[in-house]
Amino acid sequence: MSNPLFSLRGVVKRFHDREVLNLDRLDLEAGVITAVEGPNGAGKTTLLAILALLTPPDKGRLFFDGQEIPRAASQLTAWRRQITLVAQQAYLFDTSVEKNVAYGLRLRGLEQTKRDARVREALEQVGLAGFGARRARRLSGGEMQRVALARALVLRPRALLLDEPFANLDPTSSQVFERVLGDLPNQGCTVVLVSHAREQAHRLAQRVVSLREGRLTPGLDRG
Amino acid sequence: MDFFLGGLTKGLGLLAQLDPEVYGIAWLSLRVSLSAVILAALAAVPLGLLIGQREFPGKRFLVVLFNTLLALPTVVVGLVVYGLLSYHGPLGGLGLLYTPGAMVAAQAVLAFPLITALVIAAVTTLDSRVGPTALTLGATRFQAAWAVLKEARFAVLAALAAGFGRVVTEVGAAIMVGGNIRHYTRTFTTAIALETSKGEFAQGMALGFILLVVALAVNLASHQLQARWK
Repeated sequence: MSNPLFSLRGVVKRFHDREVLNLDRLDLEAGVITAVEGPNGAGKTTLLAILALLTPPDKGRLFFDGQEIPRAASQLTAWRRQITLVAQQAYLFDTSVEKNVAYGLRLRGLEQTKRDARVREALEQVGLAGFGARRARRLSGGEMQRVALARALVLRPRALLLDEPFANLDPTSSQVFERVLGDLPNQGCTVVLVSHAREQAHRLAQRVVSLREGRLTPGLDRG
Repeated sequence: MDFFLGGLTKGLGLLAQLDPEVYGIAWLSLRVSLSAVILAALAAVPLGLLIGQREFPGKRFLVVLFNTLLALPTVVVGLVVYGLLSYHGPLGGLGLLYTPGAMVAAQAVLAFPLITALVIAAVTTLDSRVGPTALTLGATRFQAAWAVLKEARFAVLAALAAGFGRVVTEVGAAIMVGGNIRHYTRTFTTAIALETSKGEFAQGMALGFILLVVALAVNLASHQLQARWK
């Protein structure tokens, strides 16, 4: 494998003395869609939380683009700004769609004209053009997930992490997710998705990684 | 019934006549209580946010402690602040006793546990995904905490309104550290206590009615703010 964006070495995570993840070695190649599959409790969501730099591993080292991620929480913001996570049931702020999508850009201090253009573009990308002024919380479940996707895409992240992106989606939203995700590797974005929807995950992903009880199952690694 | 109607009519009359003493009392009451709430909130809101969001040993004890402090009698707070500010007290050198500043200090001490407890409750009941969502979108820890506060804004505003309600209506602390000095430290509640002790019940009722009008105005302003934030 050439040029991994994420590299995990000896990563172990425990919750209340129970080992939920133990990865000796895992490399996730840049510009590739990797699907992580496994039964409930396999450690998939924990892996995403570690990759999103939300949960530090108890042991082991995590590299991003060849550089080791520091342990100090105060130093993580610059790294997090290159990685974005769309949760299974994404939380939308209690404000308009536009303000939700613009949130990350505001944090990065992008000037308003550029911000507005990027927000419009992202909303168009997910088929929600004209939804900007609507209250985010009043949308349907599928539309809310699409807002969350637009909020991530607008940041043009180097890595996009998705937890069960196809769960509870209506057919239209599901198609939008598939179309948008399929196009991301062409833009150099690395995608890691955790999914129970095997068929969709296998169709989209160039590589499939299997987790069982927190460990990689080498025989099932496809890609 | 005449007692209440008399008070109401007199209160309306004092308001309509632009009685300088009444407006002076209203202005001082507002100034002291709003300053106290702002002062208390500066410490209580960040503390409530911290306690509500973080898990640490002794958290449950702290929450119980703040809930217990809600029952703190105003005269006890008055007594403690009096002790601190009195001539021989540790803060006696500040010369604050029997000034509006002393009343602000006492009322801030009163409002602090109430605002803290309500902010803790607001943050604890808020969706736990807010902070992590902000972080994954590139927020610093401070910006993520601010996002939590913004999402809990209605409950936080309600906490501030409750704090204002607690201090603008209290009399024990204000009278002990303020001294009820005419044109200087006389607020609605201390004036009502004085008028009642003089047997001037209608005057007391009138002032009580005006106090309600002032509280109503502050709460209406708070509601306007909430409506704008929606």
